Amino acid sequence: MNQPLAGYAPTPVAARMENHGANMLKVAMQTGNDLLARVGSMVAYEGFVQYEPNPPAVRQIARDWITGEGAPLMKASGDGLLYLADYGAEIVVINLGGDSISVNGTNLLAFDAHLQWGVERVKGLAKFAGQGLWNIKISGQGYVALTSRGTPIVVDCGRGEDETYVDPDALIAWSPNLKVKGKRSFKAGSLIGRGSGEAYQMGFSGEGIVVVQPSEDSTDRLRVRG
Amino acid sequence: MAREFQRGHKARISDLTAGTDLYVGVQITGPGLTFDISCFGLDADERLSDDRYFVFFNQPKSPEESIQLLGAQAGDTESFRVTLDRIPANIQKLSFTATIDGAGQMSQIAPGYVRIVAGGEEVARYSFNGAEFSTERAVMLGDFYLKDVWRFAAVGQGFDGGLDALLKNFGGEVAEEEPAPAPQEAAGAPSFAPPGQATAPPAFGAPTASAPAPEPAQQNFAPPQGATPPPAPAPAPPSVHAAQTIVAPLGTPPGGMQPPAAPSPHAPPIGQVPGQTAPPPPGYGQPTAPPGYGQQPHAPTPPPGYGHQPPAPTPPPGYGQPAGPLSGQSVAPSPYGAPQGVPQGGGAQGVAAALQGYREAPTGQRWTLQNKKLIRVDLGADDQPVLARQGSMVLYQGKVEFSYKGAGFAGRIVGNATGQEMQLMRCTGRGQVFLAEEATHLHPIELQGDAICVSAENVLAFDERLQHEVRRIEGHGIPGGALFVMQFQGTGTVVVKTHGTPVVLPVTPTTFADCHAVVAWSAAAQAIVSSQVRMRYNAYPGHSGESVNLQFRGAPGNFIVVQPFEV
Repeated sequence: MNQPLAGYAPTPVAARMENHGANMLKVAMQTGNDLLARVGSMVAYEGFVQYEPNPPAVRQIARDWITGEGAPLMKASGDGLLYLADYGAEIVVINLGGDSISVNGTNLLAFDAHLQWGVERVKGLAKFAGQGLWNIKISGQGYVALTSRGTPIVVDCGRGEDETYVDPDALIAWSPNLKVKGKRSFKAGSLIGRGSGEAYQMGFSGEGIVVVQPSEDSTDRLRVRG
Repeated sequence: MAREFQRGHKARISDLTAGTDLYVGVQITGPGLTFDISCFGLDADERLSDDRYFVFFNQPKSPEESIQLLGAQAGDTESFRVTLDRIPANIQKLSFTATIDGAGQMSQIAPGYVRIVAGGEEVARYSFNGAEFSTERAVMLGDFYLKDVWRFAAVGQGFDGGLDALLKNFGGEVAEEEPAPAPQEAAGAPSFAPPGQATAPPAFGAPTASAPAPEPAQQNFAPPQGATPPPAPAPAPPSVHAAQTIVAPLGTPPGGMQPPAAPSPHAPPIGQVPGQTAPPPPGYGQPTAPPGYGQQPHAPTPPPGYGHQPPAPTPPPGYGQPAGPLSGQSVAPSPYGAPQGVPQGGGAQGVAAALQGYREAPTGQRWTLQNKKLIRVDLGADDQPVLARQGSMVLYQGKVEFSYKGAGFAGRIVGNATGQEMQLMRCTGRGQVFLAEEATHLHPIELQGDAICVSAENVLAFDERLQHEVRRIEGHGIPGGALFVMQFQGTGTVVVKTHGTPVVLPVTPTTFADCHAVVAWSAAAQAIVSSQVRMRYNAYPGHSGESVNLQFRGAPGNFIVVQPFEV
C-alpha cells in the first residue's frame, strides 16, 4: 500500500532550501540561521521549530507593508526540516550569492533572516499603492523562495533597445537596478467602460531580468485566508 | 499536464518543450524484480560505437556530461538528465532501456512510465504495463533520435535476452570484445570509478578507489551468475549485478514494509539533518539512492545474504560509511547539484543561475510556447496583427499597441449569455507579446487551410488573418441557452487554452462530450445536442441530474478535444 507513496519521501538534504516537487519548499533549519516566511505557509515540519509571527524586528523594517498593519511574516527558528507551500503555487528557489532581487510582496514565500531586506514602494507608481504593489528588495548571501502561479518565465530586459512592459498582476520579481515606470498603453477610448483590460503596465528599462508568471491571479491567498 | 504517449507515438521535442535541458524519469517496478535502467548513445547506424555513451549506474555520465544518470528520485526508479544541444554530432539516438536483473520476465512488471520533464514540468509521459510484454527480460522503453531535429519516440519493445542481448543488439563490438572481458573489466572498473566519485563525496571515494575494485566485483558477480545467461561478460554486466544486488533491496523495497519502518529510526535524529554527522536514517537515504551508491560494489565485500536482507534499521556494515559524506553534503550543496537540477537549479549561486531554467525560449517562429502555460508571439515580421483575449497579456517588449476589439455582435451575445464577456484586443506593432491566462494550459494550433471549431471560452488568441465566425449551438439545458463556438479557417495559428491536460478523441459514430468540457473539434465534424435526462440517485440537492451532451458525427479523421474541467 505504501509503495506508490514511497517515491514522495523527502530526498536527502543538500542545501538550505530545496524544492520538494514543484510546489513545496523544504528548508533545513538550523539554530542561529533563522528564516522569515509568510504567515500561514507552513504545511509541515519535523524537529524543533518555533514560530513567531510578526516579530518586532520585522515590524520595524516592514512598517510600510501594504496596509500598515504589519508584515505577514513569521520568524521560524530551531532545528529541523520545515515544509512550506502556498496553495499549490510553483516554487522557485534562488541562492542569492551576493546578488539582489526585488520581489512582489505576494510572491515572496520565505527567505533567510540574515539577508538584507526592506520594503519599498515602487517609484513612480503611486497609482498602484492601493493595489498592494509593494516590493521587497532582498540582497546578500543566502536563499530566497518565490511562488509563481504556473511556471514562470524570465525575460532579459537589456536585450532589446525597447523597454519591457509587464502586467503588474503577473509580475513576480525583477532586478533592482532596473528603472521602473508606470505606463498606460491603451488608447483612452478603450478605457471607458471597459477598464478591465491591460490598462496599466509597468515599464522596465536597463540591464537585468524580469520574472513573470503565466497568470494574472495575484490574489494573496495566504492573506485572504487570514 | 504531460502529453500522453502510446507505444509507437513520436513527437518532436521542440513540440513538447522549448527547452533542451531535459530530465528523463523512468519508473519500472515489479514484485521481487530489480531493474537496470540505462541509456545507449547510438550513432547513425544505431550502433554503440563509443562505449562512453553507454550511460548506466557505473558510468553515470557521458564525457561531455550531456547525458547524466541521476538516480532514483521523485517517484522515478531511475532518472537521467539529457542536454540535447550538448550531445555530440556523432550520437544520433539515445535509447532508454530497462533490463531485469536476475530472474523474472517483463509480464510481471507493475504499471510504469517514461516521462520527460523540462523546466520543472512534465511534458511527456509514455505509460506501459506488464500486459504489453510476455517473457522478455529487457525492454527498450523510448528513444530520443535525431531526424532533422531531436524527437522522442515511445518504443516499448521487448527483448528476450537481458542486458547483454541489448548490448549485442546495439553494438557488434560486444561480441568481439568478449574474448577479453577480464582486462576490460579490470581497466573498466577503476576508470569508471572517478566519474562516480566526482558526484560522490570525497570522503567516501578515497578509501574505495584503490585496488580492491575488481575483486569484490567479481565476487559479487558469482552468485547471481546462475540467474543470468552465462555468456554475460560484456563490459557492463558483472558490475551490474554487483551494484544492483545491493541497491535493489534498499531502493525498491520488497513489499511495502520499508516506508513504515522508516519513521521509527527516523524520528529521533531529525535535529541532525542540518549539519551533524549521524548516519542518515533509512527513510532518507534509500528511496532515492544517491549516486554514491554506485560505489558500493567497490566497498568492502558485502556480507553474504546481504542482498536479501530486509531493510534493517541498524546500519549494516559498510553502510555507516556514507554517513560522513552524506551529512557532509547537507553542509555543502555542491555534490547534489545535478540531481537537484530536475525541478530547478539548486546548487548554483546567484539570481541568474537559479533562474536559468526559466529563461525565455529562443526566437524563431511567430508563436513560441515558452512553457505549458505561456506563449510568446513575435509581432512585426509580417505586420500581421494578433487578436487576443483582453487581459491575457502578461508582458511585452518593443513597440506594441493594444487596442480594443469587440467580438462583434455575436461576441456580445456570448458575453451576455455566458456571463463572461468575450472581449478581444488587437496587438499591433513590432515586438514580443507574452500571453497567458490563469495558468491554463495553452495549445497553439496551426491551421493550414483547414478549419477548427473552438468553444469561445477556450480561445486565448489567434492571428487576425484567420477567418473567424461565431456559431451558436442551441439546446435545452445548456446554461444561457446556447453554446458559443468560434470557427477558424485559413492559414494561421489559434491558441486554445484548457484547464488541465486535454484528451483528443477521434470522432466515431458514438462520440459524446459534455458541453461544458468540450474545447474544440475539427470543423468537419458535426455537433448535435443530445440531451439526456439521467436519474442520478446521488445527485446533490439543486442539481437536476440533467446533463447536456454533444454528439459528434463526421468522417474518420475528425477529432474532438475535451478538457478535464467543466466550467
